[in-house]
Amino acid sequence: MTVIFVLVLFSYSQIAFCAALIFQSVSKATCWHGDLCPLPAHHTQLISPYVPYMQAEKVLLEMQDPKKGVKSQPQRLVITTIPHAITGKHKHKHTHTNTLLNSCSGFLSSEARSFGSMLVALGYIYPLQDHKRLVIKPDASLYRFQTPYFWPTQQWPVEDTDYAIYLAKRNIRKKGILELHEQEQYNRLHKWMNHKWDFIVMQAKEQYRAAKERKKPDRVVFDCQERAYWVVHRPPPGTVSAMDYGLDRRVDPNANEVTVGLQTLLFAEMKRLFSSNMIRSDMIFHFSCRLVKYCATYNSHDPFLSKCLPSNPWLTDDVTYWTLNMPNVEIPTKMRVERWTFSFGELLSDPRGRDDFRLFLKKEFSGENLAFWEGCEDLKWGTAVTMREKAEQIYKTFLARGAPRWINIDGKTMEITVSGLRHPHRYVLDAAQTHIYMLMKKVSKHTRRFVKDKLPHDALNDLEQNARNRRPSLSPIILRQQELEQRAKMAASAPVDITQLCRFTTPVSHLAVYSGFTDSPSANASPSLPFVAPTPVCPSPISVALDSNSASERRAEAGEGEAERNPEARAPAGGNVLKSRMALSLRRLLKRGCSPSTMFASLSPKGQAAAGTSRIQPLCPDQPSQAPPRRTGNFFQIKVDIPPECRIYPIESEDEEEENRASSRGGVGAKEIICPWESLTPQNGTG
Amino acid sequence: MDVAASSEESWKTMFPSAVLSLCHMQVVACYRNLASCVGGCTDSLQLRDDLRQTREKAQKLAVSTCQHLTSHLRDKSLPQEQRRELELLWVAFSSSLELLHVDMCKVFSMGDIFCLANTTALVQTGLQGGGSEVAARALSLPDLNQAQTPADGLENQERSAMEKEISQIDHMIDDMEMKVNVLRWMVEPHGPQYAEPLSSTDSASLALLTVDEEQPGHQPLCQRSRIFVFLLLFAVVLVAATLSVCVVFFS
Repeated sequence: MTVIFVLVLFSYSQIAFCAALIFQSVSKATCWHGDLCPLPAHHTQLISPYVPYMQAEKVLLEMQDPKKGVKSQPQRLVITTIPHAITGKHKHKHTHTNTLLNSCSGFLSSEARSFGSMLVALGYIYPLQDHKRLVIKPDASLYRFQTPYFWPTQQWPVEDTDYAIYLAKRNIRKKGILELHEQEQYNRLHKWMNHKWDFIVMQAKEQYRAAKERKKPDRVVFDCQERAYWVVHRPPPGTVSAMDYGLDRRVDPNANEVTVGLQTLLFAEMKRLFSSNMIRSDMIFHFSCRLVKYCATYNSHDPFLSKCLPSNPWLTDDVTYWTLNMPNVEIPTKMRVERWTFSFGELLSDPRGRDDFRLFLKKEFSGENLAFWEGCEDLKWGTAVTMREKAEQIYKTFLARGAPRWINIDGKTMEITVSGLRHPHRYVLDAAQTHIYMLMKKVSKHTRRFVKDKLPHDALNDLEQNARNRRPSLSPIILRQQELEQRAKMAASAPVDITQLCRFTTPVSHLAVYSGFTDSPSANASPSLPFVAPTPVCPSPISVALDSNSASERRAEAGEGEAERNPEARAPAGGNVLKSRMALSLRRLLKRGCSPSTMFASLSPKGQAAAGTSRIQPLCPDQPSQAPPRRTGNFFQIKVDIPPECRIYPIESEDEEEENRASSRGGVGAKEIICPWESLTPQNGTG
Repeated sequence: MDVAASSEESWKTMFPSAVLSLCHMQVVACYRNLASCVGGCTDSLQLRDDLRQTREKAQKLAVSTCQHLTSHLRDKSLPQEQRRELELLWVAFSSSLELLHVDMCKVFSMGDIFCLANTTALVQTGLQGGGSEVAARALSLPDLNQAQTPADGLENQERSAMEKEISQIDHMIDDMEMKVNVLRWMVEPHGPQYAEPLSSTDSASLALLTVDEEQPGHQPLCQRSRIFVFLLLFAVVLVAATLSVCVVFFS
């Protein structure tokens, strides 16, 4: 009996338990935890970039077609059924088979899926289950079309007031239980829109009451719609929003712009921004003008801003553009050459341009300037370990008196540089480098034809040729190796310097001074100092002649010079060779029948003219402190003070005199160029 | 007595403005509810008509509220408290006017896109009922001006009328800003931060609705588990019944 009673009690407890279960399943038990949400960015009323709303809307409208559109099914809820629910599967089928939609026809199902995802992410379709994840799933999960009132649009920005009203309504409905991020947003909006808060609360109540007038299924639909809208436009934290397109622009990025329009717009904008009196508006305006000018100049050369020929390699798979613009290409493209005309810096920074300029300077017999400039760049950008060495070599090659490739800078700069070289640092040659840079710039300006020559026939015709000779692109490592090889090659070959030619043209006094060294400093040690035959620094008549625009004379002399130089270059270097070399050159000169007198004649008037004007000390070995010849206005012109007695002398005695002098000045003559900071010999003077 | 008189006066001043702005807010809420149906499958001439009537009602209310508030706020002799109250109402009214303006613009442009002649292009939003109840609610509000305009069926006329009304609202907003200078940040609201939940009769339907929303993903599972629970309950009830019968029988 007791057993039966116990069993009865047990069964009643079971009933109670089951009833409790049922009630629990019916009653809501929601517990949402959200992360701390970052406050959403609020864009100002500027123009936003293009979002494909129109296309999406078009497709969406096509989908509504009862015959050809997407089939819908009713959604069953506990108490009601709501029609017009579509599934992911149907959507895919639709986009695949519907031939009316040109954009969708021929889609693969993955494209259809991504298109569907886009529609969901933008808010045209919302998922009925799992409403926070705006993706389309290729299963039986349900979606519904969003009403056009809630379609995303750029015309009417999403208002915070509406969001506040929505949150208030939600608060009413859920009786004070909001998600964490919603709660935070609500508090924030309450703080910022405090003055409107009565309105918001009242409006929320009114909207709630108005919605209640509807039938139940419609109310459910309304709530789902609004919720989906706000999930799209105020996404929960940690989700990616399709509405995120970055910053709004002042200028419409989709409109076609004329460059003139762009310039005026930029000008107006800058005027507006810098119109306050507190800023130096004239200066800023000047700089902004320069910026605008820069933009206007480079606009057509930028492959992103304007059309890129033959085809844009960043957008297509065709790398012709890069192949054509390689650093070591034989024939540069027209655009590239045009860029060189923009500024001298542009020319120098382009390796191809620099090569051409180097050749040009070679022809103009001022190649040492570019070599010096490159040496300075090397020093500036090189490693700290090699700095001292490099500085020494540069001094020995370019700056010292009697250096093989002496550059022509004014006395002050030379003083500063040489005194700075006592304690060489990275920027010790900056002044000289700037000087030389300006010189080269002037040369390039004066001889614009250098660049203009290259323009017409080179590039356009050979664009196709280059396309035909297309090589596979080289890796940067190989390019770098090629560069180094090229440098070594250049180092190995003797430089075509004008300074080498004047050995046989200048008076002996000069020679005596500057030829006081035997050997080229370490042709082996430093490939960057590439000369075999030491050349005295001398005011070359050829450089003087440059001034007078006698190109023919120049060419003739240059031709001789080059021819002269080559056999000399092949001669072995050696201290005792100098004498023989001098003799050799003189004899050769005599053989040629080129009388020094003519050259001297050409030299003399200028020399005389200079004597009075220049403040150069006569170059005699006796005086230890000697300033290099001062450069007057023109580029490459060196006024030399030639003592009249030295000008013409019998050739036969020259050798002996030379030998005498060389021997007498044995100490001086036999020494190499010594860097001033290493030893303080009287010859090296100020150092 | 002075206090009573002044309070009565203030009540006379405030009451119409308050009532009017409240009515205006109600109508704006109804208009928004109707506007969200435009372009959907329930879009019809009837809906458009309802929209038009609601809009006109809102317009009339707006005009009268505007006049009231403007005239009172421009009155320099208004005591400070009343001014504050009126400013509150002003802010509320201007906000609801802006809402109305936006809604009207949206309806206007959507009416362009969704022409009623082509019913296949209407978006299937899942709505079934029309908005007549909502419109009725809007139109049932008391009106100072009782004249009713007859319903006009032609869409073209409506469009031009709508354009006119939109621009009218625009002008009204501008005028309001020009005439009265209300410093919005100085206005302090009276009401609570959280809107109180409404009457408890809502709770049951609310519960059902929230069941629909929050756990739709669990729908099939819930149903299955519910069926299982029912079966279990039934079995247990059966066992209990038999046991009690046994007890009765054998005792």
